[in-house]
Amino acid sequence: MNYAWDFSGVWAHRDMLLTGFVGTMKIAAVAIAVGVVFGIVLATLRLSGKRWLALPALWFIEFYRNTPPLVHFFWAFYALPVLIGVSLDPYVAAVIALSTQSGAFFAEVFRGGVVSVERGQWEGARAIGMKPHQALRRVVLPQAMARMVPPFIERSFELIKTTALASTLAYSDLLYQAMQVNSITFRPLEVYTVVAAIFFCTLLVLSIGARALEHRLGVHTRPQGA
Amino acid sequence: MDFTWDFSVILQNWPVLLRGVGVTAGLWAVAFPAAMLVGVLIALGARSGNRWVGAAARGYMELFRNIPILIQLVWFFYAFPIVTGVQLSPYVAALLALTLNASAYCSEIFRGGIASLPKGQWEGALAIGMQRTQVLRRVVLPQVLKRMLPAFTNRGIELAKNTSVASVIAVHELMYQGRALSAVSYRPLEMLTAVAVIYFVLIYPGAWAAGRLEKRLALRSN
Repeated sequence: MNYAWDFSGVWAHRDMLLTGFVGTMKIAAVAIAVGVVFGIVLATLRLSGKRWLALPALWFIEFYRNTPPLVHFFWAFYALPVLIGVSLDPYVAAVIALSTQSGAFFAEVFRGGVVSVERGQWEGARAIGMKPHQALRRVVLPQAMARMVPPFIERSFELIKTTALASTLAYSDLLYQAMQVNSITFRPLEVYTVVAAIFFCTLLVLSIGARALEHRLGVHTRPQGA
Repeated sequence: MDFTWDFSVILQNWPVLLRGVGVTAGLWAVAFPAAMLVGVLIALGARSGNRWVGAAARGYMELFRNIPILIQLVWFFYAFPIVTGVQLSPYVAALLALTLNASAYCSEIFRGGIASLPKGQWEGALAIGMQRTQVLRRVVLPQVLKRMLPAFTNRGIELAKNTSVASVIAVHELMYQGRALSAVSYRPLEMLTAVAVIYFVLIYPGAWAAGRLEKRLALRSN
């Protein structure tokens, strides 16, 4: 194997890769934010105690958790516009796909956190005269929050990796831009190795930050096999 | 919204979709056992006394878990042949990427499972004269395999979902067939919805079983 590596082509088009990197980070940040909103809504429905609200939310969550993310991307881009009569650009379709699927996962994280707080805490708060929403906000959520942080971070990392699928809709994320650079330079080995390295280093830096955050919050116990 | 659903397109193309399901199942059925096998080796490597072997095994786990599966797939299909001089078929490239990716997660499950067993078990078995491989096979694995079952089931589900990315390099599995059919039939809504439902039907029983298993094991350990 005497292949001569040549990174000059990749370096010459570094601005294109930078655009892709910004695209990846942007879509990840927006999808996490929208996903959290979806997650809160779904978790609230699941915890509402009313069957006709909880059951549809449960099935929505189960459906999204048990189908491939790629299907959600294609469905949002090619199928959803037929249903609503409005064509969506790749960015919007990708955000819809990412935030609905991560919303389904976030909902379970939020619900799990609330459920994990023992009943006695509720009962105690109610006994001293708090209303349900007060008990939730002042007693249950502060305790549940700490338990939600590790799985929430876990899911957010999954989401960041899943953004690479947006390239299949021709959204200018890192992978899509890399494909463009490759079609100019004909250097797939260098281009894709660089892109893999960028992803690896980014997630490494983020995970160091996440660990520091968990440490500060005192919640560095990750569930086994999650 | 006055769209009329027309699912006849699904019924007409049922054999093609079924073939796609076959390829998807094939990918899964080869990659999952292979990933477990590689995963055991990596886990043992990570636990080995040799510092270099340990570092290499942990590096492998970090590498494959922190790069999106699609990028790994693209790398094995477009970049790997340049390193090795061997052009892989899309199917083989997909198998390779799916297996190695899943193996990194499997090794983490093995590592955690083996580490969860008290040291005394190892020491006792070694004391009665067993060799390390014997201890692993006769004492450690029988005890921890059950504990690892829910995690492996979840891994199998993730792998089943990941097989869909193989469509990007034109492996003719379910996602690929669904996209191709939705393009020629001009019925993307029905076709892609059907594909999503088929995936759900394939994957949900596994998720349901994993949930049951987890609950049963949790009850027993109390």
